[in-house]
Formats: sequence, C-alpha cells, structure tokens
Amino acid sequence: MPTRRELLQTSALGFGWLALADMLASRAQGADAPRSGDPLAPKKPHFAAKAKRVIFLFMHGGPSQVDTFDYKPKLAADDGKPLPFPKPRVVSSATGNLLKSPFAFKQYGKSGAWASELFPHVGACADDLCFIKSMHGSNSRHGGALLELHTGSDTFVRPSMGCWVNYGLGTENRDLPGFVTICPTLTHGGVNNYSSAFLPAIYQATPLGNAGTPATQVAVPFVKGTTPPAQQRLELDLLAALDRERASPSDAATEGRIQSFEMAFRMQNAAPAVQDLSKESAETHKLYGIDEKATENFGRQCLMARRFAEAGVRFVQCTHSYKWDQHENLKRDHTNNAREVDKPIAGLLTDLKRRGLLKDTLVIWGGEFGRTPVAQGKNGRDHNPHAFTFWLAGGGVKAGLSYGATDDYGYYAAENKVHIHDLHATILHLLGLDHTKLTYRHAGRDFRLTDVHGEVVKDVLA
Amino acid sequence: MRAGSLVGAVLVLFAGRAVGAPPDAVAHFEKKVRPVLVEKCVSCHGPEKQKGGLRVDSRAALLLGGDRGPALVPDKPDKSLLLQVLAHDGEVKMPPKNKLPADQIAALREWVRAGAPWPDSAPVVVGPPKGGERAFTAEERAFWAFQPVRRPAVPDVRDAKADVRNPIDRFLLAKLSANGLTFAPPADRRALLRRVTFDLTGLPPTPEETEAFLKADAADAYEKVVDKLLASPAYGEKWGRRWLDVARYADSNGMDENLAYVNAWRYRDYVIRSLNADKPYDQFVKEQIAGDLLPGGTEAERADRLTATGFLVIGPKMLAEDDPMKMRMDIIDEQLDTVGQAFMGLTLGCARCHDHKFDPITTGDYYGLAGMFYSTKTMKNHSVVAAWNERAIGTPASAAARAEWEQKVAAAKAQLARAQSPAVAAVAGFASVPLVRQQRDKVAAAEKAKPPGEEAMAVEDAKGENLKVHLRGNHLTLGAEAPRRLPRVVAGDAPLALGSDRSGRKEFAEWLARPDNPLTARVMVNRVWAGHFGAGLVRTPDNFGRLGERPTHPELLDWLAAEFVANNWSMKHLHRLVVTSGAYRMSSRPNPAAGAKDPDNRLLAHFPRRRLDAEEIRDGMLAVSGLLDRTAGGTLLKATPRQYVTGTGSRNYDGYAAPRRSVYLPVVRSAVYDVFQTLDFPDPSVPNGQRVATTIPTQALLLLNSALADQTAAAFAKAVLAVEGDEAARVRTAYNRAYGRAPTAAELDTVLAYLKGSEGAADPKATADERRLRAWRGLCRVLLASNEFVFVE
Repeated sequence: MPTRRELLQTSALGFGWLALADMLASRAQGADAPRSGDPLAPKKPHFAAKAKRVIFLFMHGGPSQVDTFDYKPKLAADDGKPLPFPKPRVVSSATGNLLKSPFAFKQYGKSGAWASELFPHVGACADDLCFIKSMHGSNSRHGGALLELHTGSDTFVRPSMGCWVNYGLGTENRDLPGFVTICPTLTHGGVNNYSSAFLPAIYQATPLGNAGTPATQVAVPFVKGTTPPAQQRLELDLLAALDRERASPSDAATEGRIQSFEMAFRMQNAAPAVQDLSKESAETHKLYGIDEKATENFGRQCLMARRFAEAGVRFVQCTHSYKWDQHENLKRDHTNNAREVDKPIAGLLTDLKRRGLLKDTLVIWGGEFGRTPVAQGKNGRDHNPHAFTFWLAGGGVKAGLSYGATDDYGYYAAENKVHIHDLHATILHLLGLDHTKLTYRHAGRDFRLTDVHGEVVKDVLA
Repeated sequence: MRAGSLVGAVLVLFAGRAVGAPPDAVAHFEKKVRPVLVEKCVSCHGPEKQKGGLRVDSRAALLLGGDRGPALVPDKPDKSLLLQVLAHDGEVKMPPKNKLPADQIAALREWVRAGAPWPDSAPVVVGPPKGGERAFTAEERAFWAFQPVRRPAVPDVRDAKADVRNPIDRFLLAKLSANGLTFAPPADRRALLRRVTFDLTGLPPTPEETEAFLKADAADAYEKVVDKLLASPAYGEKWGRRWLDVARYADSNGMDENLAYVNAWRYRDYVIRSLNADKPYDQFVKEQIAGDLLPGGTEAERADRLTATGFLVIGPKMLAEDDPMKMRMDIIDEQLDTVGQAFMGLTLGCARCHDHKFDPITTGDYYGLAGMFYSTKTMKNHSVVAAWNERAIGTPASAAARAEWEQKVAAAKAQLARAQSPAVAAVAGFASVPLVRQQRDKVAAAEKAKPPGEEAMAVEDAKGENLKVHLRGNHLTLGAEAPRRLPRVVAGDAPLALGSDRSGRKEFAEWLARPDNPLTARVMVNRVWAGHFGAGLVRTPDNFGRLGERPTHPELLDWLAAEFVANNWSMKHLHRLVVTSGAYRMSSRPNPAAGAKDPDNRLLAHFPRRRLDAEEIRDGMLAVSGLLDRTAGGTLLKATPRQYVTGTGSRNYDGYAAPRRSVYLPVVRSAVYDVFQTLDFPDPSVPNGQRVATTIPTQALLLLNSALADQTAAAFAKAVLAVEGDEAARVRTAYNRAYGRAPTAAELDTVLAYLKGSEGAADPKATADERRLRAWRGLCRVLLASNEFVFVE
C-alpha cells in the first residue's frame, strides 16, 4: 500500500485525478463512506487527542509581556536604572534603561494568575488559561518573526502550521475550506504566513479579506458572482450535460470536475451562511462586544471563528491587525489595542465553554515576539524575541497553569524555556500529531513544521 | 582529503589524570560534578544521543569534544567550552531550557580548575576525528546521474501497428513491446493541432488555422505547422514562462519586506528573447550564472548578459534581518538551492548544515560553491532594509539620454533652491510661496521624465574569498576553511586555483556548460520532455539525486541529451524531435489493456491528457473571446522602485486587468493574481520544474463568478450575437471559436433548449435584449468552463 505521502507525491502528475477518483468513490458509496485517497478527508491522528481544531488569535506587532501577563515587580523597583546584564548581540533598535510598566497588575481566580489592567476580561478567564511565560524565538524583525511563528522558518518559504494541521487531519466539512484565516496581514511575509509552500495547494488557507477589510465585508474569494441563482443553476446543468455528452463511460476526471462545480455551487451558500452573524442572539453579540464600537470588529472575527470551528473548519486564525508595535506611546496605544480585543476574546472563551466546544478546541493567543523591558525613547519598547508570553486554552491543555519564567526584568526567558519550535511541537501534540512524524518529502528530504527542532512541553498537557 | 583513509579507524584515549588524584578531588567530582553531568547533560550527550557530536560521560569524550571542538581544557575553566556554555551568555546555552543554579556551575568550574580528575580511567572508544571530508563509496560514485552521457544505439523495433517516426518511438516501443503493449492509434487531426498549438505556444489554434490544417493534404502539413509554431513569438512566451518557473521569477521580493523589483521584467524579457532566438542552452546557462564575466559581443549582447544574471538576484530575501552575516549567508543559500535544482537537478541546500544525507554532497562542496557566491556582489548592502544590486545596461545613446536627464533634474533643483533662498523670500515676500510651489512641480516633473531602460538586476564579482564551513549552518560557529571548488563527486578532486582576483562563478558556469557535464543536458532534456508529455522521463525534474526517481527510459534520456548537445544545444531542435514523434501524435484515449498493465502510463501507451495551465486557461479565454492583446515585452508593474507592493491591510498592487498574455502580467509575491493562484500557478518563491493540476471547488467558483469569467463571456457573447443567421448558426460559430468544431445535433438541441430556458427564467423586468444577452453570456461561460476547453486531448 502506498502511504498517503506517496499518494500525494504523485500529485505532481495526477493529484486532481486522485482526488476526483476518490470523490466519485465516495459518491458511489454514500456520504459516510471513508474517503481514503481524498487529501482533505478527515484522517485519524497519530494518537488519541482531546483537541480537534484550533483557533489562533494572533496579535500582530508584538504585545509587551511585561505590560500584559508577565508581572515584574523588580522592573518597577529599578525603573530608570541600567540593565544589570548584557543586551542581546543582535537588536533592532538602540534602547536605554529599564522602564517600569505603566499598568497596574492584579491576580485572578483560584490560580492567582497575574494580568495587567489591560486585560480585565481575559484575566477573569484565568482559570481556563495556561500561560507560557518563557516563550522565545530567533528573529528581532516583524517579517522574520511572523514567518517563524507561522511556519517555523525565518529564512525560507515553508508551509504554515495551519496547512500542516490541515494536511495531518483533513477537514470535517467538505463544503468549507479546512483552514480559514480572517483578516490576515499582507505584510511581514503576507501570504507566506498562511501558504502551503511545497505542500499541495489544497492545504493552503482560504483568506477572508485582509487586515484592511472590515470584518463585515470579508468573504471567500469568488464566492459572490453576478449571475442570479436560477440562471446559474441552468448554466451548471448545461455544463454537466455537455461534459457528459463528450465523456467516455469510464471518464472519472469528467465526473469529478462536474462534482467540483456542484460543490462550488453549495459553497456559495455554505460559507456566507457560516459568516452570517445575524442569527446569533443579542446577548451573544453583547458577549463578544459587537454592540460597542471599539470591540465590534474583533468581536465579529471571534464570533465568526467560533462559527467556523463549530462547522468543522480545522484551523481558524483571527488577526488583530498590525497595531501592537509600541516603539513609542506604549501606554496610550497598548490601552487602545487591548480594549479592542479583551472583551471579544473573553467572549469567545465563555461562548466556547458554554457550548461545550472548549474541551476539544485549542485556543492560542500571542504575538510574533515580546518587547524589551528597557525603554526605546521615553515611552516605548523595542522588539524582543528573547522573551514573550503566549497562552493556550481548551482541548488537552492544563488550565490555570503558569509555565516557565523570565529573568527579574522579563528580558530573557530563563526557566523552562519554550522556543517557537517547542510551541509548534506542543500544538501538534495536542491535536494528536507527532511533530517528528508529520513529514512531507520535498526537494530531496523530509520536511517538518519543526525542522530538526522542537520538544513537546509535556508540563502544559492536561 | 585524508579522512577517507581514516574511515573505520578508532582512537583510544586514556583519561590519565584520574589515577592518583587526591581523594578530596575525587569526592568533589563524585558528589558535586558527576551527578550534574548525569542528570543535566547525558540524556543529550551520552550513549543514547550525541547532540553536536558530543558526549560528556567520560573525560576523554570531553577532551575530544564535538563539532565545536574540545569541550574541556583541564586547569582552564575560562578556556573550556563546557563552562562557557553553562554561563548562558553566548550563542550556545546549555542546558538549553534552564541555566544551572550558580552553585552547580561553581562546582564544575572548581573541578576543571583542579585538572578535571575523573576516577574511572577506563579508555573510551570514539569514532574517527571530526573535520575531514568523507570519502564517497563506490556505490555513490556509480549513481546513474553522475555517469557520463553515452549516446546509445537506437533499438530495432518491429511493430507494424505503431506509427514509427523517429528514434524516440523506437526507444519507447522497445519497452512497450517487452510488456506486450504498443502505441495508441494516432489522434485525430483536430485534437493533434490543438495539442501541439497549446504545447508550443500556450494558445489555442484559431478556427482558421484549424480549418486550414484539416484541409491540408500535403504529407508534411504537420511538420510545417510545427515549424510555424516554433517560429512564432508565442513559443518564447510559453516556454520562457516554463523557465521562469524554474528561476522562481517574480516582480517583487515577497518575504518580509515586499518591495517592488521594477527591473525584474528585463530578465523575463531576456528569457523570452533567448528562447525565441533559440539561443544554445549552454550559452543560456553561462549567461545566467556569469553573464557579467563573459567577454566580447556588441553593446546589446553585453547588456543582455548582464540582465541574465538577474537570475541570481530575483530570489526572495529577508531584507530586514538585523544580523547582516546571517542575511548574507541566507541569500547565498537561496542562490545555491536554486542553481542546484535549476541546472543540476541536485538539492545542494541540504549540505548547508551537514553533509547531504542521501547524495554525495559534502559541506565542503556546499561551502566551496558558497564561497563563489560570497565573492559575488548580489546586494548593494546588508543593512535593514537591504538593497539588491542593480547595474546600468545602457547603450551609448541611452547613457547620453540619462546624462541629459540628470542635468535637467539638477538644474531644476538648483532653481528650487534659489526660489527657497532667504534672499528671494525677502524680496518676493508672500509672492515666493507660489514660486516655490511652481519650482517644486518642475523638479517633480523633471524627475518623472527619467528615461527608461537603464538598469537591470545583476551581480558583479567582488574580492575572491574562501568561506569556512559553517557548523550546523551557523555563521557563528565556524569550522575548517572550504576552498572554492566544484562538487567533488562530479568534477573530481582537483582544486580550482582561485585567487582573490575572481569569484570562481565563471569557472562554475563553464563547467556546467561543458558537453561532458553529466547533469546539465539530462536535466534540461527532461524538462522539455515533461513539458510535452506531462511527466519527465525522470519524474522528479528538480531532483536527480538518490531520493529522486530513476529514469523510466534511461537510454532515451541519454539519447536525447546526446542529440541535444550534438545539435548545438538547440531547444527548438529538441521540441521538433519530440512533437514530430509518433508517440506525440498518439490518441489520448487509453487502451483498457494497457491501463491494467501500466496504470500510471509510465511506458506511454497513450498520450496523457492534461489540464491547461493557469496562463493557458486565461489566455485561451481571452483569445476565444477576442480580447487578447498580443503586445510583447515591457512591464505592467505600476510601482516605483522599492515601493511596498503589499501593506498590512492592502494589496497595493492589483494591476492584473490588462488583457495581455499572462506571461507579461506582474508576478507579485504575496499578492499573486488570484486567478493564477487558484489555477495552480507555482509558488514564485521556490524553483519549480513541474506544474500540477488540482481540481478544487474554488476553481469552479472562479470560472463561474470571477471578473475574468464575466468579461470574457460577455465579449464572446457579443461577438457571437453579431453573427447573421438563425440561433443555430450562432451556436455553430460559438462552438467553432471555442473548440474548432461544429456542435453535434444532440449538442445543438441541448444548447438551444438551454437558451430558451434561460431567457424564460430571467428577470421579467429586464428587456428582451438583456435577457437574450444574459442567456448567451451563460452559454459562453459554460463553453469556456467545460472539460473540452480546459483539457488538451
């Protein structure tokens, strides 16, 4: 028996054929029949796992760990003093002395997790969260850091983690894409942050709008046309009739292509239906902050993410646009940014929980790097890939845990360090995928999301 | 290299100092040192794993060290790598996750200062020393792709049923006959014409061309068509695009800082021109790697050769990398990876961090070639945001125009400065404001009038320098010097005498272009074959290494390679051979018996049907609807130099509306035209020698709902509705334009019924004309979305 990878390798020559032949088989056998050769058919993970899908809330720009969740009393005490240990060899800008956080911190819930006044709503969910305070990466620039976070490489074009997940697990709903990214950024790697690179294109994310599109206007590409449905139906019937007229009886490619048009016809309804938030109650809208101007846009993204997750999309990413890059005006801008996302995120967590979805949905929050505890200018902070905070919630994650630590000032990850590769390994593990086994052969070798690195952070697993 | 003779040798070391060490030193080791090594280090550096080639479970192993050298210098803690990495303040930090507590580090330091006594003084056996290059095995040297090309004898085949036209057929039939199979019958003439026209030009035949070919009764009518197609400028547009796939061509950087490459199009036009001129492939190779270093020729030829080296510059780069040396080495790696796959079918990139795991390519080979590119100026600088190299390619006339323009700009600026001077302001008062504005406009206008055609993305030689091997690919941990040289397994062990006066690129290019290079001709012949038969004779066209596939017809591959070189590396000769073979003229209808024996059609018992490429679908839709603009060359990229073509929330580039051939549409990384993206256009960030064809619902959505589908269907419908006669006559015209044939009676009935139904289902408020146009637009959309249109039989 050829492995799935071998089957996909023939993609170069007959991928469409393969998918189609199988689609036909599934049609013949009924919808519930296994679709072994269909590259998007649901697949069994390497081992049993709690998380079935992922919602990644990406904070583009680099939120400051020492102003959000990594409480550093010594930073306040030593405000204005020089950093007592060396700065990194490579930095993106010149920086000065230690700068205390302008935000007050407090502890939340039974776990006593710290959160600054920027995140009161998320703070209130602390007992559902698992903080990783010792995240670190390798690149001090947005582009490299975004690519490293999304693809594991800050050097070359590699498949995005959502594509790997889609490749590893397939999709649960064939009328919808398996990997959706809502309002992705088009800069700092842009499409390469969600592209499939050398994996078959079918695993690529479907972008809904971009960071410049209001959440009310995002759509699957080409899903809306100018032809009225009744006439489009007639066109499709004509197309099928003409195609069948020319086909030989055993022509699977023809039949498969006809089916793909039928699927497209259904998708025109399915995707907009999932995106239609009008069926949700006023209470739900309020929960996500959709009724308030500041929180409306990200609230819609979060609610759409829940609806896509519920409908069987494997990986959903929401991007809070390139706003978190406070080289200056830290207090003003971090306050505004956090206000836009705090309530929607808490709303999403609450909603997932009450619908019973949180137990098998993995929610991930974070940015491409953290920020320096030393000042850039008077009231800003520079990029810092050496320490930042992520939190995970939901499927298979130890809730109420704070894992790892930075040094006294939050400049370097110091205890139980978690590299981005380790985070990737852990995410795959939570989905039942062994990061060393999820491989794809390309240009002469087997590639993985984690390259030759990555260790599962076992301590955060429930 | 001496390493070869040492393979298999073992070193026996004694941990001599332990015997007779003072008892308190032994106690200190046992209590404070050994437990730390065992608990914190041995899991990665012991019997199970030897990360970095290092073990720490004996004194001898520490003395021997790993990839980074000895880990221990007895008596000298500050010189011992072991203590350096424990400090967690350098590049290498151990243990990686957590720094050891200060008291444990102090204990280890004390132990080293005391001479690092280790009580178990048993000798340890370790492998061969690090550093030397490994020798290749006989099996590696005998690998098929590294053997010289030999022109095999053409097999004698007796197959009365098969259409045997040239040696290609004899090689193929030899294998088919051995399996009890033969060629499918010849394709019908209409299918053959559509096939060869799309294959050589990327466009459908016009109804007139089809009619002429169907009527032609000369024995060589087909050969004449082939000659005409090869002579058409559309040939270079189709096959140039194939090469651009391999060259990962794009009009923007992509990656982190997506800046416009406003001069990339010159390289694209150079490629199209070269193919149309049937430039010998060996020359084409040399120009792209070292065109700047080749002597002689006219001004225009020199400009062309500089432009050709754009091949080395157009790759995607991380332009905002704070570590300039990392940026530089990453760019070189991208170049080597592309050069390796494009010209040699080898994945050189694998040897950046360690010897290639599957192919006989060592880090010495990698850094030997990398040194040549290190000695080449690809970038103007490596600062953030870095700038790539561009060179003037002006003719004397354009240089004069440029000088004149520079003078005009300078004069306008001088005038502006005068207008802004305090003296003028004092005299003119408020009146100076409009004056300044006027002068500013003049400067802007002068700057805008920059004469075109003066710079190309291109490289130049810098000081020749060797690199050191980068251990694990890291520029901060360097190994032995790697003299610049060619890959040993093919080029042999003789070094290239390269001083500081040259990079070695020219020598590399000349070696690649040698007739006896076993890879260059085979790789290219295989690409041409794959372009006509859907799959190569080697089905992994960019990887001829051990993990690539073996040739299905090694003799045919070699015969074609020899024929290619013997005919002055003529691409057109190769195409002509392939498309005039009997094999190429077979029907695409599979024979069920052959399908059972050879389900993948590796033996070619029938012609493989293929879906059109993204560009062919778009160009075909535009051609049939009468919208296609056949203007050649130039740029459609509406961007200023280094302009960001994508922003956080914007695609600043969306100039894809021009109805020009697809090859002339800009390829903007991260904002690739969505029509292309959906129809399997290859990722322009990586070299790509094989197109794929998926069938996914978004393609159907595109053909139903996109602006391209709307525009082409509307133009097509209007053209057909202008035809005199009855509805049936118009349907016949539509069929003829789309497929080069008339509809069958059954098809005509189906279509007429559809037209009636669609008009009936239309919005009753619409006028009769509108309803009719909508119905016909629907028909035209369907014809262009049909299998008959998007597949080549």
